[in-house]
Formats: sequence, C-alpha cells, structure tokens
Amino acid sequence: MNFSFLLLSPTEIEALLLSGKVAVFCTVIICVPGVAVAWLLAKKSFIGKSLLDSIVHLPLVLPPVVPGFLLLILLGGQGIIGKWLQSSFGISIAFTWIGAVIASAVMAFPLMVRSARLAISQVDAGLEAAAQSLGAHPLRVFFTITLPLAMPGIVTGLILAFSRSLGEFGATITFVGNIEGETRTLPLAIYTYTQIPGGDLAAMRLVILSMIIALSALMISDLLERKATKNIGRGLREKGND
Amino acid sequence: MIEFDFQRNQGDFNLNVKCHLRAPVIGLFGASGAGKSTLLNMIAGLVKPQSGQLNIDGEYLFDSLRGIDVPIHQRRIGVVFQDSRLFPHLNIRDNLNYGFDLLAAKDRRFSFKQIVDLLEIGHLLAQKPHQISGGEKQRVSLGRALLTSPRLLLLDEPLASLDVRLKHQILPFLRRIKDEIHIPMIYVSHAIDEILYITSEIVIIEQGQLLAQGHFHNIIHQDNLQKIAQSLGLENVIGAVITSHDKTYGSTTLTHGNQIIMVSLLAAETGAQVTISIPASSIALSLSRLENVTIQNQLQGLVTEIKQIGFRILVTVDIGESQIVAEVTAKALETLNIVVGNSVYCLIKAPVIRAHGFI
Repeated sequence: MNFSFLLLSPTEIEALLLSGKVAVFCTVIICVPGVAVAWLLAKKSFIGKSLLDSIVHLPLVLPPVVPGFLLLILLGGQGIIGKWLQSSFGISIAFTWIGAVIASAVMAFPLMVRSARLAISQVDAGLEAAAQSLGAHPLRVFFTITLPLAMPGIVTGLILAFSRSLGEFGATITFVGNIEGETRTLPLAIYTYTQIPGGDLAAMRLVILSMIIALSALMISDLLERKATKNIGRGLREKGND
Repeated sequence: MIEFDFQRNQGDFNLNVKCHLRAPVIGLFGASGAGKSTLLNMIAGLVKPQSGQLNIDGEYLFDSLRGIDVPIHQRRIGVVFQDSRLFPHLNIRDNLNYGFDLLAAKDRRFSFKQIVDLLEIGHLLAQKPHQISGGEKQRVSLGRALLTSPRLLLLDEPLASLDVRLKHQILPFLRRIKDEIHIPMIYVSHAIDEILYITSEIVIIEQGQLLAQGHFHNIIHQDNLQKIAQSLGLENVIGAVITSHDKTYGSTTLTHGNQIIMVSLLAAETGAQVTISIPASSIALSLSRLENVTIQNQLQGLVTEIKQIGFRILVTVDIGESQIVAEVTAKALETLNIVVGNSVYCLIKAPVIRAHGFI
C-alpha cells in the first residue's frame, strides 16, 4: 500500500516549523514575567492586586478575537504604539511572525500564571522563614527554596503555555492575518485547507500532527512533574507520612 | 545578655513582655497559647512587634522608636522549629551547608565535621529529608542552625512532635550543645521536665504576660505560680545532696537537712547538689512510723498549717530544712484528727520523687 499521502507537503512543513518557532518564542518570553506575576499574586498583598489578577486572566474569558483586535489597535501599523515603533525604530509588528508570538503570548500568559501561582503559593512559608533565619537574603530564598520547590508547577505552566500557543487561532488571525510563510501557523493552515476544495486530506494530516504534538506535550509535562515531585520527596509513597 | 520589651495586640490576645536575660541558657515555659512562640518569633524577626525593643549583647536588633528592625537574615539568630523545616529538595549535606556556605570563613565558629560528629549525623549526609526519621530530622535541623554560628539559638518546642523514646535520645544532644559549645539558647517548651533537664533558669509566661523569671528553685514557690506548680505536681521542690548510691537496688540516698531521702538511682557523683520535687498528691501522712511497709521514705515533721481548697486539704509539714505540702482527703484528716502542732510522718514512695536535670 502506498503511504505517500501521509507525507507533508513543503507548505505544510513550513506551517509546522513556523508554529514551533512561534510557540518556542512565546514560551521563552512569558517565562520570566509569568513567574514574577505569579509570585506577586501568590505571596504579596498590594493595592490593585485584584485588578492585576483580573487583567492577567482576561484573555482566558474573552473571545480570542477581542485581544487580537486590541493588539491590532495598539501595535498595528496605525496603532498608538505601532506607529511610534514604526517611526522611531522602523519596526513593524503587525502581519509578522513576531506579532504572532505576541498574540499567542497574551493568550498563553494566564495559563502560565495560574499554574505557577498555585505552585508558588503551595511552597511552605515556614521553609522560606527557616532559610532566612539561616542568613539567606529574601532573593536568595526565592531562587534556592521557592523556585525549586515550585518548579513542577512552573514547568506545567510553561508546557500549557506552549500548547496553547501552538493552538492559538483567533487572536493571531485577527492581529497578524493569515500570511503563508509568515503568520500561517498550524491551526491557520488547517483552517485554510478546509476552506479550499480538495484540501481535506492536507487538513487531516495537520490535524493528526496537532494531536500528536498536543499529546506529547501533555505526556512530557506529566513526566517532568512526576520527576520533580519525586525529587523533592513528595512522591505518592510518602503521602500522609509527613 | 538579651533584653527585650515587646508589645503586640492581636484581637483579644495582648502580648506584653519585658525581660532581661543574663543566663546563657533560658527555658521559656508556658501553657499552649501563652505566647511563647510569638515571643520567640519576635526575637528571630519572623513576627514584628507593634512596639518595643530587642537588644542582644548591646546591639539593638529592634527598636520601634528609632525605627530599627534588622532583617531576619542579618540577625544571626538560629531557630530550630518544632517541624524541623528541612528543605525537601536538598539532601542532608546541602541542608546543613545552606547557612554555613553563606557565612564568611572568619565568622565560622565550628567546622562542618565538628557539628556532624557532635550530633552523630554523619551517616545521613547523602539522604533526603523524607528518608530519615523525626528524631534525625531534628538533629539535622539543630546542626543546620548551629553551623551558622548564631549568637543565639532559639528552640521552639523542638521535641514536641517526637515520642518519649526519641525525646530521650535528643535531650542529651541539647545538653552537649550547652556544655560543649556554649551557645546562648532560649528553649521553649510546655514540658517543664524537658526544660529543667537543660537549664534551671526559667521564664514563665501566661496569656502574653511575664509571670516569673529566675532560678527554678527560687521562683517555683512564688504565690503567683501556685496554680502552675500544682498543675505540674511541683508543690514541693527542694534541694538535696547525694550521699550514696546503691547500684544493687538501683537507688540513691540523699540528705536534705537532717532528713534522709531515698530515690531511684541518679546518674551523678556523690556530694552533688540536686533539685527534687515531690507532688503533694503523692505524699501520705501517718501519726506514727510504719513498720512492715514498702514505702522507703518516712520524713518526720510538725504540722504548721492546714488549708482547705474545695474538697482538697493541703497540710503543710515542717521537716526541718523546709516545709512540704501534702494533699490529703477531708475524711482522712478527720479520722486521724490531725491538727496544727501534731508530729506526723510524711510517707513518700521513692519512685514518685522526680530529680530535675535527669532523664
């Protein structure tokens, strides 16, 4: 039997690689601010905390076209910030893959923050106090105690963000359009194939691919989490013992 | 020298304690909820007093009036918590080194090996905290704090979550720390025997207020401690001298004035001074010396006072060197017709006599 129908065409490979690039960049840029905001929300109380919390979570509850549209207004060629970037630095974000990164970062950010926040808030404050009493500056406490103990949750958050970024559709198509080779990521390519006659087979190939990627991400996340949990001695075996 | 004066109001709990501690090792005693841990946390810097001062060896670590509040990590005060708080992601070696590594070499008073040997934890170094027992965890926690060469070590009920057997394994280590490496300590506990094993200098607090402070022997008979002394069976705390040991029968003979008292074998030299306590409820009275009885101690004395509190009758007997209190029932008192001025024998079984500072 001939399995050549399973082979990806060059345009499909291009969409896959673009998606990967966008997702990797997205994960990298939200990593530090995600942990920072998660820490603020988990450990600190300040004026405007609930407002910050709401704003961070907004993309989760809004239809994705809304953040996409807002990004277009802000960063688009005619947008407030976009115009300034264009005139001062000659940088144009709209309709580029960098724009796609920003769109998916906005959409993935709340997932990252939620997961990291939960993990950070579950780190025993008593351990942090003990570390301080041993002479460690609060910053050192964060990097040597809080961060390592929250790592399983942070990693989960990053993988969720990565997956969300791979699947980002609404905000991306609204903000940066559907330009082949520049902004046409995997979901946009699938959408495009379903819109043209005879594109079903290509769409199906990409759908299967998406499922494989998503499943792998979830399994890797689970694996990392289990490894990290085992490392800090809170394995299932120990449950209820300590 | 530690001097503090802390105030903190939290709802209906008011803490207001002013204290000047001169002894190197202090036992801080109080019932649960008396404010012991809060006080300790204020010294460590983990809880901020609303007002007050903290001065250790002439240096102010906290002064609300002058706006001084030295951060926890700069106080050099070691804390051993009840729940040990070992870092779960680090092995025992890294736990021990956590504070040690942050310390400049010139500030290190002990070597890693010295502390590991003192606490006998060398075989645990490669393990993770979840792999070792509760008693071992507390020893590691103690070592971790000691390695930071603290100017003061705070122990917040370090044995409370351990069973009796483990407690007895750890107490000698605490005594070794006191005797061998001379670090000032404040030992918090609601178990008076634990405290007295380590030190006789105690501070007693109740409901956030200082109740008494000083040498246990000198303060335990204070009027305001009567209730506490009674609840702990410490109505009769007396000093005595060891005169001989009888290893065959497992007993030690003490003298208290011209009275001879037999107790269970004590691990101390002949001639040593000891403090013993006899619960009032464990003393029976007899009008004459008893023959054919297993009770070893029959201390003769004169009844000087008979006091009734509810159905409890407290009879004070002058035994020469001191006065001891026996609790008897109203019916027994009436049957024997004991009155002030009578000569009586205080009957005390040897095993009920507690010698403080021994386990």
